[in-house]
Amino acid sequence: MAPTPTGQLELYTLMVRSRAFEEAAIALAAAGDIPGSWLSGVGQEGTLGAISQLRPDDYLTYTHRGSYGFIGRGSDPKRLMAELLGKRTGYSKGKGGRHIADLEHGILGKSGTIGAHAPLAIGAATAVQIRGGDQVVMSLFGEGTSNRGTTHSSLVAASVWRLPVVWLCENNGYMGSVPARAYTAVTDIADMAASYGMPGTVVDGNDVSAVHQAAEDAIDRARAGQGPSLLELKTFRMRAFGESWPELRDPAEIAAWQERDPILLYQRQLTASDRLTVADVEAIRAAAHAEMAAAAEFARESPFPDPAEAFEDLYA
Amino acid sequence: MRTLTISQAMNEALHEEMRRDPAVYVVGLGLYPSDGDDATSGLVDEFGERRVRSAPNDEALIAGSAVGAALVGMRPVAEFYLADFAFNALDEILSKAGKWRYMHGSNAGMKLPIVFLQGIGGYVGAAAEHSQSPLALYWHSPGLKIVAPSTSYDAKGLLKTAVRDDNPVMFFIHKFEDSGPVPEDEYLIPFGVAEIRRDGADATVVATSYMVTLALQAAENLADRGVDVEVIDPRTLEPLDIDTIVGSVQKTGRLVVVDEDTERCGVAAEIGAQVLERDFAALRAPVGRVANPNLPVPYSPPLEEAVLPSVAKIEAAILATLA
Repeated sequence: MAPTPTGQLELYTLMVRSRAFEEAAIALAAAGDIPGSWLSGVGQEGTLGAISQLRPDDYLTYTHRGSYGFIGRGSDPKRLMAELLGKRTGYSKGKGGRHIADLEHGILGKSGTIGAHAPLAIGAATAVQIRGGDQVVMSLFGEGTSNRGTTHSSLVAASVWRLPVVWLCENNGYMGSVPARAYTAVTDIADMAASYGMPGTVVDGNDVSAVHQAAEDAIDRARAGQGPSLLELKTFRMRAFGESWPELRDPAEIAAWQERDPILLYQRQLTASDRLTVADVEAIRAAAHAEMAAAAEFARESPFPDPAEAFEDLYA
Repeated sequence: MRTLTISQAMNEALHEEMRRDPAVYVVGLGLYPSDGDDATSGLVDEFGERRVRSAPNDEALIAGSAVGAALVGMRPVAEFYLADFAFNALDEILSKAGKWRYMHGSNAGMKLPIVFLQGIGGYVGAAAEHSQSPLALYWHSPGLKIVAPSTSYDAKGLLKTAVRDDNPVMFFIHKFEDSGPVPEDEYLIPFGVAEIRRDGADATVVATSYMVTLALQAAENLADRGVDVEVIDPRTLEPLDIDTIVGSVQKTGRLVVVDEDTERCGVAAEIGAQVLERDFAALRAPVGRVANPNLPVPYSPPLEEAVLPSVAKIEAAILATLA
């Protein structure tokens, strides 16, 4: 079922806010304000069609890429930005950088190794099952991470234990700058689902309406206790692997995907059906940029942690 | 008082803790059907397959799922059978369980109450990949607590404490498990409190797990020769009761540390260094280390005996500090 008219505007707004966060973070990275680096999610905001449907008490594990996981769950852009700058006011008090948990919004945190989130998702889903709840765990991974053994064993466990997990593979076609043909044996990661005994669906990841539809089915299925699903979102990352990384992919391919920008596509859909006017677009964009500029300002003005704080937070 | 093996004592602890707290569950390989007399026997019969989860065969899945469950309020006990097998889950144990809270700035009061249960030790002809005792590996890495009981009494009381601790606990049990008295009434043993297993005036021996048994035998043998050895069992390496160890060395002036693991960068080196830093002047002889001489544990009995600590090696090390 498509979102309601209000829901469509909310989803569009989330995408624009996420993009505005990305642009602010890219600017901070270019200015040298981010001690580590930022792995941009520009171009993959279609995933919000899935994330935006989670209930407040559901759980999410995300990849190393982008801000849309947080924006979609309602995290505070100020605290996100402050963390990227290593400030005390950040979600991890400056100890994690882009490794951020927001447990109040069900976001379990970010691993430095890819593929480690899948077992975490299994654990959260195990907790739901033991407690007899109806929460859903959504777990994002890339097509490169489909190689990891932890992905394999976690998909087995999800199926064997009939856990309420929605596996969301964002297939952006590249691991770093290496094309997927070098490291995946199948064209569609969704094909792997059959071997785990769960449904697998290929979705146009840049068509947020299609993502919304497919995710709704998978979430309903999980919530009803019918087990896990695997959705593969075909998408593309518009930036290099990380800010400060060289772009080694074919410029023609990047330009072609630019035409399929998920925000642009959704904007066209909504304006065509008169859900969105040019004035709306401008107002939403202006508000998003003002919000993220304020977040960047908050981050810049926030204090660094005191060196003594390095000795805190190890043990509970 | 009744006598229980370490496994039986742990089995009681798990039953009691799972009855007390519905957030406690066990995940591991081959947890059912119950097969007799190990730490997890009978749990599935009382608590069912949801709280006693036999997992697909991947230690990384077992450990990582424990981390994920702990993050949302559960208290998992992850069972690996052998510490050697837990190496498949090193990323999950060292970097997820150990560092997740710190790296995320203890976001929203984040806790990781997990017990990682595993068997250690040689002396059973199991060769290099079924005989390891990698306590130092985990002690080296921040964020974990390290428990290695030597008696049934301690195993039960420490395991109950481990389940209730809000941090990840590495809980090591030796294959050569002793039997000993365990009271019927409930008790807990706090972490970071060493037990003086034998009072002595001439030399201090520090040992954990099965090494305590060997050290006590060495002490008895030397007593016959007029050497009075004190044996200290720290019971937990993290936190470490260094005060009790230093206090003993201040009395005896001599220290030997026994560790079944490889010697290099090991438990004996760490304890020796801490004593030197705390009270160099108390030592009247170099610190003795009895440990595996940095070799894989071999299979054949005479080879294994050549590599692993023994009563005779401990006696020799003690006598060397007195020479």
